[in-house]
Amino acid sequence: MALLEIKNLHVSVGNREILKGISLTLDGGEVHAIMGPNGTGKSTLSNVIAGRDGYDVTQGEVLLDGRDVFAMEADERARAGIFLAFQYPVEIPGVSTSSFLKTALNAKRRAEGKPEIDAMEFLKLVKSRTKALGMADDMIKRALNVGFSGGEKKRAEVLQMSLLEPRVAILDETDSGLDIDALKVVSDGVNALRRADRAFLVITHYQRLLDYIVPDHVHVLVNGRIAASGGKELALELEAEGYAKYQGAAA
Amino acid sequence: MAVTRETAATVKEIEQYKYGFVTDIESDKAPKGLSEDIIRFISAKKNEPDWMLEGRLKAYRHWLTQADEEPAWAKLHYPKIDYQDAYYYAAPKQAKLASLDEVDPKLLETYKKLGIPLLEQQMLAGVAVDAVFDSVSVATTYKKKLEEMGVIFMPISEAVHKHPELVKKYLGSVVPYTDNFFATLNAAVFTDGSFVYIPKGLRCPMELSTYFRINEKNTGQFERTLIIADEGSYVSYLEGCTAPQRDENQLHAAVVELVALDDAEIKYSTVQNWYPGDAQGKGGIYNFVTKRAACRGRNSKVMWTQVETGSAITWKYPSCILQGDNSTGEFYSVAITNNRQQADTGTKMIHLGRNTKSKIISKGISAGHADNTYRGLVRIGAKADNARNYTQCDSLLIGSTCGAHTVPYIETKNPTAHTEHEATTSKISEDQLFYCMQRGMTQEEAVSLIVNGFCKEVLQTLPMEFAVEAQKLVGISLEGSVG
Amino acid sequence: MKPAQRISGLMEHPFGADYARGTPAPADRALAAFREQARAVFEPQGLPGPRNESWRFTPLRTLAKVPFIPAAAADDVDVAAVPPQIAELPGAARIVLVNGILRADLSDTLDGVELSTTADRALLGHLASAASAPLAALNASFMSQTLSLRVSTRAAKTIHLISIAAAGSQPAAFHPRLLISVNKGASLTLVETHCGLPGQPTLANPVTEIDLAEGASLKRYVQVTEQPDSFHLAATGIALAARSRFEGFHMGLGGALVRQEVNAVMRGTGAALELNGAYALDGHSHHDFTTSIDHHVPGCASNQVFKGVVDGGSHGVYQGRIHVARDAQKTDARQLHKALFLGRGPQIDCKPELEIYADDVQCAHGAATGEIDANHLFYLAARGIDPATARMLLVEAFLADATGRITDENLRAAFTRDIQGWLSRRSLKAAA
Repeated sequence: MALLEIKNLHVSVGNREILKGISLTLDGGEVHAIMGPNGTGKSTLSNVIAGRDGYDVTQGEVLLDGRDVFAMEADERARAGIFLAFQYPVEIPGVSTSSFLKTALNAKRRAEGKPEIDAMEFLKLVKSRTKALGMADDMIKRALNVGFSGGEKKRAEVLQMSLLEPRVAILDETDSGLDIDALKVVSDGVNALRRADRAFLVITHYQRLLDYIVPDHVHVLVNGRIAASGGKELALELEAEGYAKYQGAAA
Repeated sequence: MAVTRETAATVKEIEQYKYGFVTDIESDKAPKGLSEDIIRFISAKKNEPDWMLEGRLKAYRHWLTQADEEPAWAKLHYPKIDYQDAYYYAAPKQAKLASLDEVDPKLLETYKKLGIPLLEQQMLAGVAVDAVFDSVSVATTYKKKLEEMGVIFMPISEAVHKHPELVKKYLGSVVPYTDNFFATLNAAVFTDGSFVYIPKGLRCPMELSTYFRINEKNTGQFERTLIIADEGSYVSYLEGCTAPQRDENQLHAAVVELVALDDAEIKYSTVQNWYPGDAQGKGGIYNFVTKRAACRGRNSKVMWTQVETGSAITWKYPSCILQGDNSTGEFYSVAITNNRQQADTGTKMIHLGRNTKSKIISKGISAGHADNTYRGLVRIGAKADNARNYTQCDSLLIGSTCGAHTVPYIETKNPTAHTEHEATTSKISEDQLFYCMQRGMTQEEAVSLIVNGFCKEVLQTLPMEFAVEAQKLVGISLEGSVG
Repeated sequence: MKPAQRISGLMEHPFGADYARGTPAPADRALAAFREQARAVFEPQGLPGPRNESWRFTPLRTLAKVPFIPAAAADDVDVAAVPPQIAELPGAARIVLVNGILRADLSDTLDGVELSTTADRALLGHLASAASAPLAALNASFMSQTLSLRVSTRAAKTIHLISIAAAGSQPAAFHPRLLISVNKGASLTLVETHCGLPGQPTLANPVTEIDLAEGASLKRYVQVTEQPDSFHLAATGIALAARSRFEGFHMGLGGALVRQEVNAVMRGTGAALELNGAYALDGHSHHDFTTSIDHHVPGCASNQVFKGVVDGGSHGVYQGRIHVARDAQKTDARQLHKALFLGRGPQIDCKPELEIYADDVQCAHGAATGEIDANHLFYLAARGIDPATARMLLVEAFLADATGRITDENLRAAFTRDIQGWLSRRSLKAAA
């Protein structure tokens, strides 16, 4: 059974159809990249899978380990193993990063029938992960994402990913707002999390990120449809030639 | 601090208000209504000396002239209260006790359910408790230990007999019987409450705590608390309140007076969780409370922290009169209103002495059809050189059927004083909720987490034992507010 | 609030039956009826007392003791010219009122703006009703002349309205009403100077009603420089239709007791209001700025910045209320009041108020009081600037946060000069 299956997905916002029949299959261990110009539905796809309000699924389904994702609330999907690394992680004043992490981690453990994590054990776990990501120790004491730089925010997203150990991680424009050093650190973090039973869906506008997170499959999303699929060389081709050819084809 | 699992579990386990049960206990009640006879009855019940009765009658006679003075300026709407339609005295029937072990097991059971064990072997470590049930104090723990240190911690009815000189000197010295309609009523009919005296130079090593419980139907609770911190002393005092779930509104009109002498410090924390009424606004406590501290001494300090989650109506302005030079007043408040609750609460900081400082941090959270008002006064007298005030009032609205209001008064007569006031209004954004839920939290958990973050500055001033309880309450009070 | 009989614990005041007899009824019968209705409201309530929440910081006891009579338009006072201290604004057309009555002989002809002494009944009493504000009730009860301004184009010329108070041998009061309509897409810049001639005390009690149609725009800059023993109680009601713009500025530099009250209602989405003010007070001057902004509809913005300096035994008051109605989502409403003490003796009272019934809004207020920062003074001293000049510079800079918001450059400069004038007169006094 595929890990994540997207079948003929149609999504509208208001009266406008944004996704016009997307089908994708992600197996364990795979990294899929979705590339496309701005306003083509890339963020819609990630939001719909994660369960954000405001989108109408008019047709199609998404299955996680064979389970209907649309039958679950956003939090249930998260606990079932869908992780969205946000393009713009939200700030929550007064809530320390560590207390947020602990709450999220315990929500997951509870769903798995495990006891809450012991405070000391939690601290040890977080410290080992922050160290691996080159994050300052005191970062987890700061309010979640409040006053974080672009790089810090993205690192915090990867830190959360590493703690919550998802089945499918969706990276929504993770490279936006990152300089090359930060991009490398974040990518290393993601690569370290690649496992045979985990899949990644990397959404990006530029090929740059894919130099660091090397995909197994690349899909070109144009006007709500997948216009082409291929291997990692497709990304290089897009970088060189742009999307024009597909835009023409789709229109 | 993680609020989560326990909160969620508690939310599921209890329907709404977990303190809504009634204790079936025989009680001794005065006839309904208010009159000189009732006041004489209360005074006689407490076996009071004449000077106490005189004080009560003076207050009562003044109250009779105040029929038109019931405060109406607050942003609160409730039907006119019929003061003759309530009981002013109710006490569990029981003979005088020689020790805590003789307390009626039903009462012990009640307090145990409330999380306040009174028996020696179960007592909370480091917290001495005075338990007030309707009109009387039923038990005080750690009495001996406190006595050895010179701390007086006893029901005020007992202090009247044992320490008349202190009671005479300080009772009504911060909140005189003429202060306001409800304080006048309290001065006439108050039944019990706690009395605390901390001797010179002592840092009281124990948290002192009073736990108020209204049990009887149609009964008002009018407690009176008096805390005196003598020179160089320190005390942290906690107050908790609950009441059964009833369809009728019940009146609670308390008066709290704090006196801090030179270099003394009082930390007064309240977690107010009186029954708030049901979702339609039926029932609930009317909470009209006058709390005031006199920072009389040089370098004295009073810190009020309140977490107000209960009551149908809250009318409460814990204040500081900063008389002593270099004295400090602080007010930290979280007020949560949900469903049909209404709160009009804040503080008064009256700067009289030089180099006096005050700080006000108020967090109002409004949900459902509730209204939540911060009302505060900062007054800098002409002689208060170098006075400083900082005020921050933040309101959080959950949903678009509630209201959040900020009404600060800032009056300054001294050129060297600095006052600063800021207020903001915000809501829980869809993005914040979605972000939390994407990390696996339920909506309830997410709301609780975000609101606790919003209130953090206030909650962290609470003593440990209360902070955890308060965090849970924040989540529970907002149950069902989003969605 | 206290029960009704207590509010009306009526203060004695001069605006009784005799005063009414002394104010000739307007010839227009409908207008006369309007006045009678207002008197029926005013008489039982009288002047607002300290128990009236909106008046707690501004007692009218002193004013109530002055034996005012209705001011005469021409009989026992003669104003031959605009007082020379009123600066001519370059390129502005003048409208001159003496004791609230239009003096055509001193006024310029207007271009693109219709001026009439016939009341615009569609506006009169709609935005400042006797029932809602004691000041409007007082005005309507004894209203002598109404002046209507209708703007139907983009008026190129600024209008400078000069209102001169002039008492005869007795203290005199007058109650002018100004009705301004700015039609769809039209715009106007209006400057008002309220001043008086030396002599017996006066009370100016102007009420202004402003109706802005869709996309209309009005800049209204008001300066009140009454004589030191005179009174000024002004109320303005403004209604803003969709996408209309209002920019107001209120300056208070003189007068025994001055209240400038502004109530604005946002009635159409996309309307924007700026309401700013500055005051510089000395002696026993009392200035009260009371504003109320009602956000009735979604998607409107309002912003207020008031700054003041106080010296002597003066008293500055700012009360600002922002009300956001249940459905007025996406409202952006802000207010700020800051005051600076220049000496020992003045008093500042401030009450910024938020009343919010919608959740998706941005609302904030701030307030602060203090004195001139000693570090700033030292810094300037270290650069060789003498203390008097340094203080003047810092005060000017402090007030510039408010005056700097005047978008008309010429008028910003004019208002700044007035403040500089106040400061230099004050430092002369200090030096003497």
